[in-house]
Amino acid sequence: MPRSIELFLSLIILVGLTLAAFALDSGKLSKSLALGALFGLVLQRSRFCFLCHTRDFFSNRDVRGIAAILLALGVGTLGYHVILTTWLPDPGAGRLPPDAHIGPAGPLLAFAAFAFGIGMAISGSCISGHLYRLGEGSPTAPFALLGTLAGFGAGFLTWNTLYVASIATTPVVWLPAYTGYAGWLLGQLALLAALAALFARFASPPVSQPDIRGATPLRHALHRIFIARWPATAGGAAVGVIAAVAYFQVQPLGVTAAIGSVARSLLAHAELLPETLHGLDGFAGCRTALVTGLSPNGAFVVGLVLASLASALVAGQFTPAWPTAGQALRGVGGGILLGWGAMTAIGCTVGTLLSGTIAGAASGWIFLAASFAGVWVTLKILPTR
Amino acid sequence: MTLRHLITAVAALAATTLSVTAFAAPAKEPLVTYEWVQKNLDNPKVRIIEVSVDPGVYERGHVPGALNFRWHTDLVDKVSRDIVSRENFEKLIQGAGIDKDTTVVLYGDNNNWFAAWGAWVFHVHGLGEQVRLLDGGRKIWELKQLPLDTKTAEVKATDYKLPDGKPNLRARLSDVLAAAEKKTDVHVIDIRSADEYQGKIFAPEGSKELSVRAGHVPGAVNVTWSKAVNAEDGTFKPAADLKKLYADAGVDGSKPIITYCRIGERSSHTWYLLTQILGYDVKNYDGSWTEYGNSVGAPVTNLAGTVWLGK
Repeated sequence: MPRSIELFLSLIILVGLTLAAFALDSGKLSKSLALGALFGLVLQRSRFCFLCHTRDFFSNRDVRGIAAILLALGVGTLGYHVILTTWLPDPGAGRLPPDAHIGPAGPLLAFAAFAFGIGMAISGSCISGHLYRLGEGSPTAPFALLGTLAGFGAGFLTWNTLYVASIATTPVVWLPAYTGYAGWLLGQLALLAALAALFARFASPPVSQPDIRGATPLRHALHRIFIARWPATAGGAAVGVIAAVAYFQVQPLGVTAAIGSVARSLLAHAELLPETLHGLDGFAGCRTALVTGLSPNGAFVVGLVLASLASALVAGQFTPAWPTAGQALRGVGGGILLGWGAMTAIGCTVGTLLSGTIAGAASGWIFLAASFAGVWVTLKILPTR
Repeated sequence: MTLRHLITAVAALAATTLSVTAFAAPAKEPLVTYEWVQKNLDNPKVRIIEVSVDPGVYERGHVPGALNFRWHTDLVDKVSRDIVSRENFEKLIQGAGIDKDTTVVLYGDNNNWFAAWGAWVFHVHGLGEQVRLLDGGRKIWELKQLPLDTKTAEVKATDYKLPDGKPNLRARLSDVLAAAEKKTDVHVIDIRSADEYQGKIFAPEGSKELSVRAGHVPGAVNVTWSKAVNAEDGTFKPAADLKKLYADAGVDGSKPIITYCRIGERSSHTWYLLTQILGYDVKNYDGSWTEYGNSVGAPVTNLAGTVWLGK
């Protein structure tokens, strides 16, 4: 695509997003659109993706991505700590902070997150990764998202059985209730630092970023911002900040509520949806509902995809391609696992792992460990591409 | 301490007390305006409390200095269907720093439905004299773009003992049955929508609390709660208009009144205005249609004739 067209298209998207943010009269919708766009920009520019970061470590012993995830969790934890201590001064009062993604922490969550991890490794990304890659013209992403939709459907069909068998009696564990805020903050940051140190032991020296020589300082800066990949840690820190701001302003970060709601509505339309989904709507998490219009999460996802597209166009990274049969198959197959896992875990790597862990939820840590294990096992078995 | 010091101290104390008194809400004034609330944000004798139904609303921005009472957990019994026990309510108000000379101002989302319900609970537990509603609730505060705060106020707990309660402000199933069977001479007001009253629908879209029969209590008149408020800012209509609204429905305050809705919280809104603004003798039936319509053998008037088919 000619450079001028790339820049023109991206300008149109930027103007369109800005106009839409002004046109949406509900504060929540316009804030969600703006936060989604910011999130999409950060993901695209820093290539922040839970799977790629983990895979970089396994295949190249490159720990920058893992460091970015841990940094996102650390920065997010600090941000949430500020909000939580203000909103709920006494963590031991026997109640949970409003809306925070704190879910049932039990074996079923671990199983769902493990399945999600396998789905990531097969389809080549987590759900937020597929969303921003949709903006880059990825041939796999559309199939993975279709698979996710189907997986969500499967999740709704198995929910009632699993709820009665396990979830209903699984405790919802919020760590600060046991440790106090200070104990939780120090413990969590220490654990994140210990994990960073552990991964660093296996690291190989990073490859230095190619530099553009002979350019003016301005050109150099523009290149660093709009063309070159942002340092992974910058992306991680930005993700942590966006997560805290989103919680403060609208709702915790999550990318599956809107997708899940579409699946729920389609099933309901086909009269396949169970009339009652036991207990589901009582949990804080990436909540689904029958679609009645643009939801804040819907606006967030639209903002994410469009901003990623605009950013990819500017960076010359919008490279649409026809999918191969293998890509389609891996996308759909992995996507189904992503969808089922995210539905059963009431969120994905963003909604449950990120937004849960930084809110002090034990469910966040379980998702982290189990999805990591799922990725690891799958990468061991799957032939490297 | 010299005598002069003592006199100065006493004078200062008196001045403080006087200035506080000057601040306080006029006695028996059931509603306060947003302007009054703005002037009394720092008044130590005024405690502002938000009672909203949506979680996270208070936390993301509330009237500065306001505390948060949670409808689903603080103001009800979490095991049996009942309002909060006297014991737990006493703990709640002590923790909120409420004392016998504190003026409590309640406000909330959804047109003050739950704040009015909270006010009714305050009355039932004997604190009616101290409680006011912010007229218009969150709606008018947001409409006027007044400042919102996200900090949780810190208050000093008191050891205030609840005065005697007023359980007679609460109607029980037996009271409503007696009215339906014309064994007592009372007015029953159904404040739900006309469609619910007529039995066309069992409950509004999305309601989780249901009854397996449609219709209303025999003899009840229908005055939907929303007719009592100004739609644009959520404030109550003038007393004269309210008086006419209910008189037109045959309720003039000459007889005792029972209000009900589906779960008892919107009917508190009507209960509040009838008792506090018009001075009528009213009981709120918090069991409401979800208790009455599910009660075996209770007489029902179902104008639409809708039959419960288990769907």
